[in-house]
Amino acid sequence: MNFNIPALTPEFYLTTLPVLSLCVGALIAMLQGVSRRLGGENAVFAVVVLSLAVSLAAAVIYSPAVETSYLNGGYLAGVLARFGQTLILIIALTVVLLFRSTFLHDRFLRGEITALYLMIVTGMLVTVASEDLVTLFVGLELSSIGLYALVGYLNPSRRSQEGAIKYFVLGSFAAALLLFGFALLYVATGSLRLSEISQAAPKLLDHNWVRLGVVFSLVGLSFKLALAPFHLWAPDTYEAAPTGLTALMATTVKAMILVLVARFFAGSLASVYHVWLPALMFAATVSMILGNIMALVQTSLKRMLAYSSIAHSGYMAIAICAIGGGTGSFPIAAVLYYLIGYTIISLGAFGVLMWLENQENDNLILDDITGLAKKHPWAALAMAVFMFSFAGMPPTVGFIGKFFVFNAAITNQLYGLVIIGVIGSSISLFYYLRVIVRMYMVEPVKVAVPLAPLRSLVVTGILAVAVLANLALGTLFPETTMKWMVNTSKEVAASPLKTSATGNISH
Amino acid sequence: MDFLNSHILSITTFLPLLTALAVILSPSLGTARWVSLGGALVTFLASLHIWFYFDAQTPGLQFTEIHDWIPTFGIRYIMGVDGLNLLLIVLTTFLTPLILLSVWNIDEKKQKAFLALFMTLECGMLGSLVAFDLVFFYVFWEAMLIPMYFIIGIWGGKNRVYATTKFIIYTFFGSLLMLAAMIVLYVLHFQQSGVYTTNLLDLYGTTAPYNTQLWLFAAFALAFAIKVPMFPFHTWLPDAHTEAPTSGSVILAGVLLKLGTYGLLRFAIPLFPQATATFAPLIVALGVIGIIYGALNAWMQKDAKKMVAYSSVSHLGFVVIGSIAVVSGGAALSAEALTGAVYQQINHGISTGSLFFLVGVIYDRRHTRLLADFGGLAKVMPWFAIMLIVATLSSVGLPGTGGFVGEFLILLGTFMSNPLAGATASLGVLLGAVYMLTLCRKILFGPLDNEENKKLKDLTPREFAYLTPLAVLAVVMGVFPNLFLDKVKPSIENLANNFRNYRIVAEAPIATPYLLGEEHKEMGR
Repeated sequence: MNFNIPALTPEFYLTTLPVLSLCVGALIAMLQGVSRRLGGENAVFAVVVLSLAVSLAAAVIYSPAVETSYLNGGYLAGVLARFGQTLILIIALTVVLLFRSTFLHDRFLRGEITALYLMIVTGMLVTVASEDLVTLFVGLELSSIGLYALVGYLNPSRRSQEGAIKYFVLGSFAAALLLFGFALLYVATGSLRLSEISQAAPKLLDHNWVRLGVVFSLVGLSFKLALAPFHLWAPDTYEAAPTGLTALMATTVKAMILVLVARFFAGSLASVYHVWLPALMFAATVSMILGNIMALVQTSLKRMLAYSSIAHSGYMAIAICAIGGGTGSFPIAAVLYYLIGYTIISLGAFGVLMWLENQENDNLILDDITGLAKKHPWAALAMAVFMFSFAGMPPTVGFIGKFFVFNAAITNQLYGLVIIGVIGSSISLFYYLRVIVRMYMVEPVKVAVPLAPLRSLVVTGILAVAVLANLALGTLFPETTMKWMVNTSKEVAASPLKTSATGNISH
Repeated sequence: MDFLNSHILSITTFLPLLTALAVILSPSLGTARWVSLGGALVTFLASLHIWFYFDAQTPGLQFTEIHDWIPTFGIRYIMGVDGLNLLLIVLTTFLTPLILLSVWNIDEKKQKAFLALFMTLECGMLGSLVAFDLVFFYVFWEAMLIPMYFIIGIWGGKNRVYATTKFIIYTFFGSLLMLAAMIVLYVLHFQQSGVYTTNLLDLYGTTAPYNTQLWLFAAFALAFAIKVPMFPFHTWLPDAHTEAPTSGSVILAGVLLKLGTYGLLRFAIPLFPQATATFAPLIVALGVIGIIYGALNAWMQKDAKKMVAYSSVSHLGFVVIGSIAVVSGGAALSAEALTGAVYQQINHGISTGSLFFLVGVIYDRRHTRLLADFGGLAKVMPWFAIMLIVATLSSVGLPGTGGFVGEFLILLGTFMSNPLAGATASLGVLLGAVYMLTLCRKILFGPLDNEENKKLKDLTPREFAYLTPLAVLAVVMGVFPNLFLDKVKPSIENLANNFRNYRIVAEAPIATPYLLGEEHKEMGR
């Protein structure tokens, strides 16, 4: 292993600008936290938005066609990394804008909080753009620790602290497993770089340490993705966290982990798919069944969406399972398409909740939204679109995403998973419809705290964009987007499938 | 004219959607009503254009429109008309303005939303009728559920939430299984031809291995059987009909259920011919059970609307057995039965549509549908009585009405294919006469002893406006069946004689080249 000092060229700074900009932003925010003069709400808002915007602009504008590796694989610049970074930054920016419009704006827009927030995003950007196991683990932990802290600290209450502790304890445990898996992979292959591990892995197929390492890594990643049976933290934490943060967790963490999983399982570990495939198939099956059944009995909307997110992780895992089949990058493209759809829908659904929440009631239950269509028809309409979309009804993005995922799975003969996906979707329709039934078909009931929706153009605008994007991706733009996703996933799928000569795939 | 001919299907399909948007944007309810009625009438005119310019000599696909939608996956926007869907398209556009008239001055809550949803529903129905690409079809097929869900769920009766949830979940589950089967077929086609496509015209050429066919046919047939609904998947229908508003019931019975039988004819049977031959006895048996069971149930109902709903189960049993009457040792379908099935779809839409309208008429006046509450209405509402008798006779299949032609042809074909099934199904005709005439007797005749019934007013001009076309058509279809059957004959004969290796050709050439498997893979890597 050689320890070259990185060439600090302008190009290097340009590619790392998304991360650097957030670091600078976080440092300034931290200073704002201790200074009363600098730390006004507007100043903090300006800093956080500016650093996210600069970062986003840098990620969008400077996107090299060929994947280049810096710092011995510690930082990659390629289309997949850029895709992950762009998606995460867009979500982060949206969540900041949503937060500013809600009752939590004065708590959120404080230096120390936004510093943590920017650190979370930094960690995610590092994770999606790294193939060095240590670096990506550091990025993962940077984002996780920030999230543990924010869940309990942003709007402290008994409930949120309980959720934070649960998240922290289980999360640390999962991180330890993940690290252990990485260590085993390192011991077995002698490398921390994914590209080198992928070169070594075929030769070490039967090495037990590789197997253990893969399984431990899978467990750690499943935890972050909230795949059953490692999902136990999700409902409590989603419910405990302020809704904006829940939206961030539900979407960015999934985006980060899926990019990572694509690198891991489609790229480096594609050749040892027979080790992880049964485990992942099991996790997908359990997630789809358990997530959907548990969601049936929830009354808290956030909790219901948490279980539904577990189920959606299961659907995404179907396509990841299909990666092993050797049909190139389509399964990854399918999962990324699903991810985009899921992100839009989740941001929208949580956005509607944020729109309706207030200081006294920040955990809406079904009774709260009963009869919503009468009082706030537009909120109800938006929510209805998101619910149908979650369920995968055309003409929304949810349907096209599900179609691509099922397509990837059937192309690789994973019929069992598809059948379970079909059954799961049918169950899920029931609880998504219950939201619509409550909003449209039931007379309002008397609740303790009446809803008082925000009068905020920003929130309305974000929701309108989410609804339109949802419909547009379901009707007019599947082709363009899918092509883009195919190109995005090419770089990870390309190399190992050529090097691995595992021959026919049997299931 | 060229432009019109080559885009008439898109225009017909999406005009209702545009109308729905216009309804939402219109400033007042009055405007919204006129806008929706205008949109529906223009759509009807557009479909008449298709009707008149339809070339009755060819079995091929006409007015074809092909555009790319998701070419990476070989998914396209393909629309076309042949004999199998022509009549249904016109039926849909014909019923919609009548239904809009029927809800004209009901000053209910959220009337504008109702009109918009209804026009969206029309778009969904027309789209799934004209689509010739599996995924493109599926989008309409499922999107259609959403407006129907709201129509029953918001404007329905007391138990509406239960009924509408049952309706949508049943259908959704069946459809998803069909989606999975569609993808399997798509992959199979690729393995055989090296081309990824969901173009139905190409997929007709795919011969799946026998065992796979059985599974795929089962998945497709289940989706359509739920929609028809065939016994034993019918339990959602009486609930949905009972709870739905009159307008919802009319469109449900008139068109939505036909999409199930149409789906069998268009997709399940020609795509999987060997499996069709294997499953035919089972499906015919279920169809016959449905006929008898539906009829017996209808006989026992105390609620007029439920009675008509169960009669639908029974009548659609005829359409099902007509669709799948295998003759000459499994090599062909009976052309007579098939013609009857296609014709009976339309008859049932007309007769049951008007029956639901008529039940709605007395429900509007009395707010009850129980047969026991009525009796002797012929004395106070003579015009209503005439309309009800025409609808009943057409539904029973009296010679001179459309129902006779359809049922006769179906029974003829079924006898040739399976005498036992034919004989048992004939019993259904008899039972049909019994319960429908019971309905007539209990409502129209007998003593006029209920005080409230004595004050009832006869049909208003608006009610005449939407009931008369249906009554006239029921008779015209009985007296001049060839007016309709000539148009559809070549397509039906093509399907009946060649269902084992069914092909239809599109008149327009395929515009863009297909993505071959290799290129597809190349892109994927």
